[in-house]
Amino acid sequence: MGPVSLKVNDNEILVMIGPTGSGKTTVLNVISGLVKPDCGSIVVDGIDITALPIESRRIGYTFQNPTLFPHLNVVKNIFFGVAKKRSGKNEIEVEIKKLLDDLGISHLTNRRIQGLSGGEMQKVSLARMLVTKPKIILMDEPFSHLDIPTKRKLRLELRRVLRRQAVPTIYVTHFEDDVYSLADSVSLLQNGMIKYTDRLESMLIRRQNNNPTFGFLSNTLSSIQGNYLEGNVINSKGGLTTFNVGSHLLEALGDYSVGSKIGILVRPEDIILSREVVKTSARNLVKAKVAEITSYDVGIVDVHMIVDAFHITSRITEEARADISISQGDDIYAIFKASSPQVVREE
Amino acid sequence: MMGKNLHGFNLFIIILSGIAIVYISYPLVTILIFVEPSKLLDSLSRPQVGSALILSLVSATISTLLLSLFGIPLSYFLARYKNFPGKFVLRIIVIIPLVLPPLASGALLLGVFGPYSPLVKTFPGVEFTQSILGIIIAQTYVASPFMVLSSQSAFESVDESYENIARVLGKSRFETFFRVSLPLAKTGIVIGSILSWVRAVGELGATMMMAYNPHTISIQIFEDNAIGGLRNAIPDIMLAIILSIVAILIFYAARKKQREHILRFKW
Repeated sequence: MGPVSLKVNDNEILVMIGPTGSGKTTVLNVISGLVKPDCGSIVVDGIDITALPIESRRIGYTFQNPTLFPHLNVVKNIFFGVAKKRSGKNEIEVEIKKLLDDLGISHLTNRRIQGLSGGEMQKVSLARMLVTKPKIILMDEPFSHLDIPTKRKLRLELRRVLRRQAVPTIYVTHFEDDVYSLADSVSLLQNGMIKYTDRLESMLIRRQNNNPTFGFLSNTLSSIQGNYLEGNVINSKGGLTTFNVGSHLLEALGDYSVGSKIGILVRPEDIILSREVVKTSARNLVKAKVAEITSYDVGIVDVHMIVDAFHITSRITEEARADISISQGDDIYAIFKASSPQVVREE
Repeated sequence: MMGKNLHGFNLFIIILSGIAIVYISYPLVTILIFVEPSKLLDSLSRPQVGSALILSLVSATISTLLLSLFGIPLSYFLARYKNFPGKFVLRIIVIIPLVLPPLASGALLLGVFGPYSPLVKTFPGVEFTQSILGIIIAQTYVASPFMVLSSQSAFESVDESYENIARVLGKSRFETFFRVSLPLAKTGIVIGSILSWVRAVGELGATMMMAYNPHTISIQIFEDNAIGGLRNAIPDIMLAIILSIVAILIFYAARKKQREHILRFKW
């Protein structure tokens, strides 16, 4: 594979996305030293670590499986990587306790590994890695074995914890929603080659402009093709949150801090189109202009719309499109329920 | 349902298994016919029986410790270093003491440690044969496959990602071996040690070639039987049986632990 050229800035989370077999894990293994590169160099903090043994690289790495040592309990697993020489034992313990509180796993410390759930195991694995104070963090689809609700919850927590740790991170995945939940930057890996690396915002703009590169994200991967929107929380109580995207007020389920920025994903299948304002139980209705219509052989069409501040896509059947006769340039109303958006990011 | 099965495959298996069980256990039962309780204690209290037993226990323990020292690293090497020239030959070499007739193993060892070998000429003061050292050399040789193969299998069952994560967490290869690989392979190694120890205690052929004297328990049984017939050897045999039962119980306890361990960590 390769050549692969990657640069991660301080405090940045770079999500490397690519299909299975594209070489994502190999890239991480090369950086960590588990696999030797044929040529090239790996530089962390200005120091070339290419020739250093694995244990001297100060890299934090979490695998797909949590890989907790089965012969050690939770606390012994967490302390496994803490160097004995590190001075100020009490200080370290306070630091670790704070981290465990942050991850919500303080109550697990004396538990055996065998009784933990998949989510708890990944959190312990994350804590074990973070206490070693790595200079760079590598994460290889750590949530791939978890159920969807746990995965969603952990992703939100992970971004918060990683932002607090302020350590450059490379997170590899083949799930598109990981990109929206975690990324500051996105790197596309295909057939062992980096296709491009860019900031998430730039990627969203390119995607909205239907840049063919992003066909990869939407079509190649077996994940949701979502409408990603970001907005600021205006009000949140009783499990319903109101947030603004441009001049539009939208609603989603869940309680989030007022003033925080949230990112939501709405599946194109969840967006209903109407020619006129209709009174329904759905909480979100925005006026949009049809920018483009893409037809598929299977009788499905994607209607791409511009809503002054953002773009959204609705997926409907060919018959439904014919019934309300939608054409490019038409004004239309896009409707979706408050339960449709999946909040994938909060900061 | 059960009745129906008994007429078919189950019956076939039960009959053949029954014959095998009778074949294995019947000699153990018949030996009791020869036991004369009044003479048993007298025979057991013979000093040569006690010293043979102690010699067997001590020499087998030393052999097992030596095997742990050299056999465990070798088994790790075979489990982890997958591609190197001559690996197949090395695997065969490791198994040779298992498949060779023990007397042949003893003869091979005599070639190395016998009176006319270059080694003895190099170390003229060391008694390699007809000594405790000779017994240990023979036992270590014939018991080595049990330690190496069992430990190798134990190391192979340890997922390498545990070792990788230990390295990433800052541990050297030595620390990783002692803090991760060894503890995770522990049960398999314990089983290998028990099997090696049992094999060493029961060793006869190679030991006879290397050191007929001093007598181990196996040689004592051989000699008592040769001099006075089976009745004369029964006390030694009874001791050997008791020793074997204890070893079997330890072996099964360790194996049960290993199975629980495997089930628990299956993903």
